[in-house]
Amino acid sequence: MSLFKPAGTLWLLAHEIRLAWRGYRAGRAGKGPGALIGLGVLFAFACLGGVLIALAVHGHEIPITPLSIIIADLACAVVLTLMLSQTLSASAEALYERGDLDLLFSSPLDPRRVLLVRALGVAANVALIFLVFVTPLLLPSILYGHPAWAGLFGVLIALALIATALGLFLAMALFALIGPRRTRTVAQVLAALVGAAFFLASQYRNLMGEAASDNLMVQIARSAGDGSLVLPPLASLPLQAMVGQPLPLLGLLGVGVGLFWLAANALGRRFSDAAAAAQGASSRRARGPAKPAGAFAAGAFKATVRKELRLIGRDATLLSQVLLRVLYLIPLALVLARSASKVEAAALAGGAGIVVFMAGQVAGSLAWITLSAEDTPDLLAVSPTSTGVLWRAKLVAALIPVAVMLAGPILALAWFQPLTGLLTAIGAGLSAFACAQINVWHQKPSKRADFRRRRGASWYATLAEFLIAGLISGATGLAVAGLTVWALLPLIVAGALLMAMRRSGDQIAKTLRMAS
Amino acid sequence: MPAQVAWGRTPLTEALIVRGLNKTFAKPAVSDLDLTVHAGELYALLGPNGAGKTTTLRMVAGLTKPDTGEISVFGIDARQDPAGAKALIAWAPDEAMIYDRLTPLEYLEFVAGLWSVDPALARTRAEQLLAQLGLADEARRRCEGFSRGMKQKVALAGALIHDPRLLILDEPLTGLDAAAARLVKDMLQARVDAGCTVILTTHILEVAERMADRIGIIAGGRLLAEGRLDELRAKAGDGASTLEDVFLQLTAEGASA
Repeated sequence: MSLFKPAGTLWLLAHEIRLAWRGYRAGRAGKGPGALIGLGVLFAFACLGGVLIALAVHGHEIPITPLSIIIADLACAVVLTLMLSQTLSASAEALYERGDLDLLFSSPLDPRRVLLVRALGVAANVALIFLVFVTPLLLPSILYGHPAWAGLFGVLIALALIATALGLFLAMALFALIGPRRTRTVAQVLAALVGAAFFLASQYRNLMGEAASDNLMVQIARSAGDGSLVLPPLASLPLQAMVGQPLPLLGLLGVGVGLFWLAANALGRRFSDAAAAAQGASSRRARGPAKPAGAFAAGAFKATVRKELRLIGRDATLLSQVLLRVLYLIPLALVLARSASKVEAAALAGGAGIVVFMAGQVAGSLAWITLSAEDTPDLLAVSPTSTGVLWRAKLVAALIPVAVMLAGPILALAWFQPLTGLLTAIGAGLSAFACAQINVWHQKPSKRADFRRRRGASWYATLAEFLIAGLISGATGLAVAGLTVWALLPLIVAGALLMAMRRSGDQIAKTLRMAS
Repeated sequence: MPAQVAWGRTPLTEALIVRGLNKTFAKPAVSDLDLTVHAGELYALLGPNGAGKTTTLRMVAGLTKPDTGEISVFGIDARQDPAGAKALIAWAPDEAMIYDRLTPLEYLEFVAGLWSVDPALARTRAEQLLAQLGLADEARRRCEGFSRGMKQKVALAGALIHDPRLLILDEPLTGLDAAAARLVKDMLQARVDAGCTVILTTHILEVAERMADRIGIIAGGRLLAEGRLDELRAKAGDGASTLEDVFLQLTAEGASA
């Protein structure tokens, strides 16, 4: 078959799959069976859930009513925005990550073929993430009386193709509009906004206050109930495709494949030009005449804090992840501020707990980056500065953005309820410090470029962070609710867990030596 | 108080004394190596690929732990007092140790901080070094768009910012164009003239021949010969007129031994 010939599309796709598989194998190398066992347990639970769903829905069909159509459409819209968030980010990254791009573009290969294969990789990655979640839940129902529901897999694939096409168009539009230097950052921020869009939309009542009307779903249900809901043409297509009606399913897949093909073909040449323009374009040139350099930081501690903050500030992916969490905090902060002026402190326990949990999670993520992602470990190793000073500086650098991020909600709380504000601040501080400290003890050094995702962290360190943040969050909630004595119990458990995670300097040094 | 070494010659006249150094990975990388570098000289360590040059220098810089052996840097026992020894050393490998997302000035600020250089002095030195290396206009650009040669120059500036007494360079001219290579060679010579000790590895024998006060030839983790060029010529015997002849003859003998 000609497609399999060297330089054919399938040949190139096979090359990409081989590289991806080897990358996955390399990423898994050295990991114990723990992560695999954990995933297996999760999968088993999901399958159990799927079996329960299958038993519950056996003999029932999904009615195609205005309400179910709207629910299916909304679900598709949510999935599509989540997918778009990922494909936009991946499409922008594809322009900057060199890898073998220079080799491919210097060869006589048609750039459209290169983009087609890269885009297929993006689509497959996004589709796989959702299929992994959906399959164990859906498969038992498909096998037990509802084979037509396999149409949902087709819908997910169609949505992944549409999201990839839209992501590519958006990334290239950004590139044309704002140039190579800003596209990477703006695309990451935009991806975070798109990802959070439905959450923010669902929180509009919290954002707008009491004056806002009931939430969207209540309004839709009311309209569907009284028959006043008028559906646009083709609104039922996603639901019909999900329940396995062949024509709607083929239609949706056709739209997906068509958009995908259009994007890959229309943008192929532009993609190669943009990728060439992106190379080295992200270096920022000083505006205007050179100014005298600002004062240098005194000492290793300050210099390291400053360096780490600069690197955090210039990491578009990391910034977008932090921004996403800030976006999730905005409605919470507004609710806390409004409620704090009116209600008893006890009613704020949940909100305070969420702030504390968030502090631990963000601090853990940032500390993981500042401590383990080091591009020049040898430079630090040849310097006379002790590792203790460097680790403390990196820890502080991870905590500063958390403090800045949470200052708003905590100050708003403290303004109306000083004691609640104080307890939340203490809880957030403890949670952030504990989660960051775990990353000092469980460093896994690697280059910063390898830290695009958090998957490199040891699973038990990640689990410990989650549990400790949760326990301190619970303790804060209890303390805010006035149950101070009860608050001690989760605090003691969190402390014991933290001590169990502790490692001596020698143990850390040994791990780092082995890693290098 | 740094740990002083009692063995060997008067310690402070020697920048580096290495005795009985051994390191084995899958196979021996460095075997029973003795090396002496006098203060204020430029010492070139030559050897074929895999000879153990980089491993030796990494052990001296404190990056790799020796299995056995002693290392003294200006009289300080580097294994007993690594921080004391590191305070005097700068290490610049062939792959530039820099951060792509920092500008050269920010990078130099960080390195100066690691060696606790006074901030005002560090700032002045940073601007001077960048100007000397032709990077003044790039001082506020992030390094991510730099060529390999530019990154090497930034790394070299980082190695010099704390005014080290012992400068260790692994293939310092890799990736540099002719003009940049000349610039770096002139800078290194100026440092040596000012009293700094420089140890470098290079595959460009002409550089060693022209610049080095003494040359060490290493192969299979062992020091085959050491001395001035004329001493090495004499050791290699008749027919060895250039350093290339000496190098090829000695390494061939070393391989057959």
